[in-house]
Amino acid sequence: MDIELLFAAAGQILNPWPFFLLFIGTSLGILVGAIPGMTGAMLIALTLPLTFYMDPFNAIVLLVAMYVGAISGGLITATLLRMPGTPAAVMTTFDGYPMARSGKPGRALGLGITASFIGGLIAWITLATITKPLSIFATKFGPFEYFTLIMMAMVLIASVSEGSLAKGLISGLLGMLISMPGVDPATGMPRLTFDWYMLNGGLKLLPVLIGVFAVSQIIKDALDIGQVPERIAMSSKGMLMSAKDFMAQGVNLIRSSLIGTWVGILPGIGASIGSVIAYTAAKNMSKTPEKFGTGSEEGIVASEAANNATVGGALIPLIAMGIPGSVIDAILIGALMIHSIQPGPTLFLTNADIVWGMIAACLLANVLMWLLMTSSVKYIAGLMYLPRSFVLPIVMVFCVIGSFALNNTMFDVWVMLIFGVMGFLMECAKIPLGPFVIGFVLAPLAEEKLRSGLMMTAGDFSPIFTRPLPLFFTILAVILLLWPIVGDWMRKRRASQK
Amino acid sequence: MNLLQRFEVWVSLLVILICLVFLWESWDLPPGSFEPLGSGPVPQATAFIVIFCAGLVIFKALRKPVQLSEDEEAKERPSISAGLIISFATVIYTLMLHFRLMPFAWMTTLFLIITIWSLEKFEKKKILPALITAIVIGFASEYLFTEVFIVDLPT
Repeated sequence: MDIELLFAAAGQILNPWPFFLLFIGTSLGILVGAIPGMTGAMLIALTLPLTFYMDPFNAIVLLVAMYVGAISGGLITATLLRMPGTPAAVMTTFDGYPMARSGKPGRALGLGITASFIGGLIAWITLATITKPLSIFATKFGPFEYFTLIMMAMVLIASVSEGSLAKGLISGLLGMLISMPGVDPATGMPRLTFDWYMLNGGLKLLPVLIGVFAVSQIIKDALDIGQVPERIAMSSKGMLMSAKDFMAQGVNLIRSSLIGTWVGILPGIGASIGSVIAYTAAKNMSKTPEKFGTGSEEGIVASEAANNATVGGALIPLIAMGIPGSVIDAILIGALMIHSIQPGPTLFLTNADIVWGMIAACLLANVLMWLLMTSSVKYIAGLMYLPRSFVLPIVMVFCVIGSFALNNTMFDVWVMLIFGVMGFLMECAKIPLGPFVIGFVLAPLAEEKLRSGLMMTAGDFSPIFTRPLPLFFTILAVILLLWPIVGDWMRKRRASQK
Repeated sequence: MNLLQRFEVWVSLLVILICLVFLWESWDLPPGSFEPLGSGPVPQATAFIVIFCAGLVIFKALRKPVQLSEDEEAKERPSISAGLIISFATVIYTLMLHFRLMPFAWMTTLFLIITIWSLEKFEKKKILPALITAIVIGFASEYLFTEVFIVDLPT
């Protein structure tokens, strides 16, 4: 870890303007996380156009702060409404809500907030220590290593997505396909443009992203507009964890944070899976597993420590290899590219200030998140009851502005709307949206690496099977592909034997 | 078949259609001249895998159709009027922006007031808050984006 560079970046963030952005980013992230139906991906996608004219360092500070805030804010609605503000907070509903209903909303929120902070802190330590060595290792990657790593990541994303493996693959590969119109990465010639000049530059990430994540969510939320949430009287009693609580929850906190960090590092899996695994592990290790689902403190701590830990974990592959660890990381890659910064192993060499800025922002946003949420969660909770009939059309206006601002063309707005409808239909069919966006971001890189590798070998695919790393990634991808099928077959076999 | 299975079938068919369009378009791409693969094979291979997966989803849905009772079907089916209102209003709003029929602030105000009030089922007591919100957001957003963030708007 380059301590001097880290301190320099932290010092730069503590200047008035970057700190203001950090504050605004964290606050907005928490607020959006606390409004059901609005997600961090949505907020960051809508903010991206505003960062075009910002200094890249400040832009990244703002976006990372939003990321940290949004993952944390989701616990408020999960606890008080039984509606996860973000998908990452699903597991928190199981114990947060029953505890809040039993007259201890402050305690439930306090446990969640502090667990989020500790989870973020442990992940940050991992981020600050292993990212650089990993990026040095990744510089040894050739085109076939990269191509097979991306393929393995896509299979991994598909296999752990909600729904089935087939649906995950449809989503990821369709995202890849949709990214292909435009300029061929190898020849520089236009392809798949349907003789339409508007497609010569390809489909841009931002309108696709806003459509798939924001517009589809608005349509989905509009369908549930009649649902009125039950109010829980909010109190701050029991908000702060005591030394005794730390003693009781210490092992659970560390274990869940490490699980969250590890899941975050795996490409494209995201916070919701991290919290599911940590929650299950906490339940299996608990002396009182029967309390889980009825207001267990261990359940809240496990879920929240893990989902926040995925933030720091997911930044590791982004910085070290240019591979997004989650949907929001895919957007962050887009943000870096907009500012002419190429994510990947050489980022530490070419833009060390940005990298350390990102790492420092992750830590400072975590601290700020804890302070803001502990001091003002009572007031933030009021946001949950904002009428959706007012919120949804306003968000739609920002979607239109955000898409238009990219190139000052209405074409992007239409692209956004088309992908909004497509995203909504995919959601209706339970086809996950995360792999779609990650596939869209990774496809150009995957194709470019494959074709440049084949150029080097004169069309010979054999390095995929003869070089150790590509072979390892390929075998892993095949195992991940077969795992659900074999598991299904074994379950059926066991059932028939019974 | 229940609602989810119907969606699975229709959305998978839509996905297959998209892939076929891509396959059709990629078929005439020239082979690689200075590199072995060329522009076509990657999109083609991707499209074929997606078609295969979509076919699997359709096959699964058709093989084991789950029939729900009328009550369960009613529970599954959301109220679509609000979804249609916001979708239709957005398309009209985008068309108006496309042809620059009015300044952005006025158009946004109009879109917001109509959409908010429609979603509130035209309740009389909601018209004033809707009007105030629409005017504030419409004009404030134009000022904020053009003067503060220096972002162009379709106006």
